[in-house]
Amino acid sequence: MLRRYRGLVPYLFLVPGGLWLLAFFVVPMLVMASVSLQQGSLSTGYELTWNFGIYPEAIVHWAPQFVRSIVYSLIVTVLTLAIGYPMAYTIAFLGGRLKNVLLLLVILPFFTSFLIRTLSWKLILADNGIVLGTLKEAGLLAESFRLIATPIAVISGLTYNFLPFMVLPLYVALEKVDPRLVEAATDLYASRLQAFLRVTLPLSMPGVFAGSLLTFIPAVGDFINAAILGSRDTTMIGNVIQRLFLNTNDYPQAAALGFVLMAAILAMVIVYARVVGGEELTQG
Amino acid sequence: MSEEQSSIERAIERALAQGRYSRRGFLRRAGQGALVAGSALSLPAILAACGIKPGTGSSAGASNTIVPLPSSPAGQVDWANWPAYIDIDDNGKYPTIEKFTKETGIKVTYTEAINDNEEFFGKIQPDLANGNPTGYDIITMTDWMIERLIRLDYLQPLDKSKVPNFDANVQPLFNDPWYDKGNKYSMAWQSGITGIGYNPKLTGRKITSFDDLLDPKFKGKVGMFSEMRDTMSLCLLSLGVKPEDATLADVEKAKTKLLGPAKAGQFRNFYGNEYYDELSNGNLALTIAWSGDISQMKLYDNHDVEFVIPDSGGVLFIDNMCIPKAAEHPLDAHLLMNFWYDPANAAVLEEYVGYFSPVKGVAEQVTKDADAAVAGGDQETADALKVVAATSYPTAESLKNVYNYKILKGDEEKKWNEAFNEVVTG
Repeated sequence: MLRRYRGLVPYLFLVPGGLWLLAFFVVPMLVMASVSLQQGSLSTGYELTWNFGIYPEAIVHWAPQFVRSIVYSLIVTVLTLAIGYPMAYTIAFLGGRLKNVLLLLVILPFFTSFLIRTLSWKLILADNGIVLGTLKEAGLLAESFRLIATPIAVISGLTYNFLPFMVLPLYVALEKVDPRLVEAATDLYASRLQAFLRVTLPLSMPGVFAGSLLTFIPAVGDFINAAILGSRDTTMIGNVIQRLFLNTNDYPQAAALGFVLMAAILAMVIVYARVVGGEELTQG
Repeated sequence: MSEEQSSIERAIERALAQGRYSRRGFLRRAGQGALVAGSALSLPAILAACGIKPGTGSSAGASNTIVPLPSSPAGQVDWANWPAYIDIDDNGKYPTIEKFTKETGIKVTYTEAINDNEEFFGKIQPDLANGNPTGYDIITMTDWMIERLIRLDYLQPLDKSKVPNFDANVQPLFNDPWYDKGNKYSMAWQSGITGIGYNPKLTGRKITSFDDLLDPKFKGKVGMFSEMRDTMSLCLLSLGVKPEDATLADVEKAKTKLLGPAKAGQFRNFYGNEYYDELSNGNLALTIAWSGDISQMKLYDNHDVEFVIPDSGGVLFIDNMCIPKAAEHPLDAHLLMNFWYDPANAAVLEEYVGYFSPVKGVAEQVTKDADAAVAGGDQETADALKVVAATSYPTAESLKNVYNYKILKGDEEKKWNEAFNEVVTG
């Protein structure tokens, strides 16, 4: 009897996760899809009118913010990779007994909240704060110079906040690289640079892939950094959605923008996977 | 961003804010802007968007039937208010609320659940539309929102016999207000004026008009409000249009007036409550501001700052306590609202919050406390209290030049929002 149902066991294991996805992903998605196609206002009520026109309208209207979000996030991904790769490499290969301590240090910022961390940058980089104020007094900066309320501040904030998301997958990938392979490469007369480029780097690509996705995707939708460290001219698509949802109560347009953002991210990820080759990742 | 994350963040932020301000025994209304960001896209907001029903009374008009109150209090009242809008001690407790509990035996669940009128409305609207309890017996909402809630028949009429202190002690300005004729549904909590706050040391001159905010000399040092009604109303006034009379053509003009400077980088940002720190620490030279904030800043954070009602006019805002329909403890809510209209209690609140008090006798009580502080040798507290006493009610002169928000409905509101969104997003 039991044997007959044994084949079902793996599916049974999927039930909790599946239910979770259904309740907290599929259902909200359907609700939002329906909301995006409704028309009306809070006081008159919303009605489902299958108003597909909202999509092109929203895309055209908010194109600058879309483009800005994507550009910022690409810069952030490159920056976190540039900063994170040497970090992860050092921890994986040279960390020795300190490995765990160093990893703990990487995730230490998570012990304080995202918002508080970002707010503290606002204090540190204030126009006449501890950094800029000192430099201004020393005559190294013009009195009118500022970082807060500029794109530099927003991109720096994003980079800072998402760096651990890049470092951890990179570390995992680099950790798995067998040092004997590098040794073998050098035995075969590869220089250290060649050994890195042809052995370590390709083997760490799954980490690069995962890390850049974990950084890029949340960065595109982020609104806290732009809200706290930015200005009108750094408005990202997350800020627009937040404003439409909470201040304007324009739920349909906000929902539509959410879907457009999701579709855009999905498209970019597919292209990226094709180019960088997510194969290692899926095989991994 | 997850809901859980944001609620934790807000709790931390609140704890920080409370620690910070309660040390000097004085609170300001904080945490609106940036914190709203933290609460974005929470589940209630999403569900609120699902199958939204119109207001039940939108066609029939608000009903005036007084729901009979229970004969005895339930011993519990749930109250949603804005952050840092009540007296609080160093332990994070609310002394005056505790006094109420001691006197009446009614437990008060006080939550700082409101960061934004629209946001909070979005959260409770589905319950109100379905006739369900919102979980709150008292909510504190701004005048124009009270008007909307009454229009949609979302509020429970007050039983005046249960709030005798109101008729006895209400200041004339808050009696029979434009948004709630006869105070059938609401009683003012605190009030203030939206105008301009500035630091003369940074501006180098006296600021008198809204157009000073657009002076290229101050490029990048000017703050605006992300609150549509405040910014647009002040701008409309500067065009010689009373907000109440503004047409869509006027709104278009106001948008054009703001858009040019906005694109040229005139404004550092559009702020919620966080403008307070930016002005206080000198990042801003001048900004749209709420009167009560500036008097507090002058006392505690930056002695240089000044508040001015622009010569073209400012906006009077009144925050009110009201009881949402289907509230579970309406009698207890009445008793608490009545309690706050006792000048002895209102004075304590005033000394902490520092906006305009709607209760008669508050200035006198605060002055008495100032005298007591002098007698006790605490000159610093005495000076602060004297300022609070002097600003606890608007002067006749300032009231001459303040206006009300326009009542915006449906499509008109949408148009105003669209125009304003264009200004605030670059």
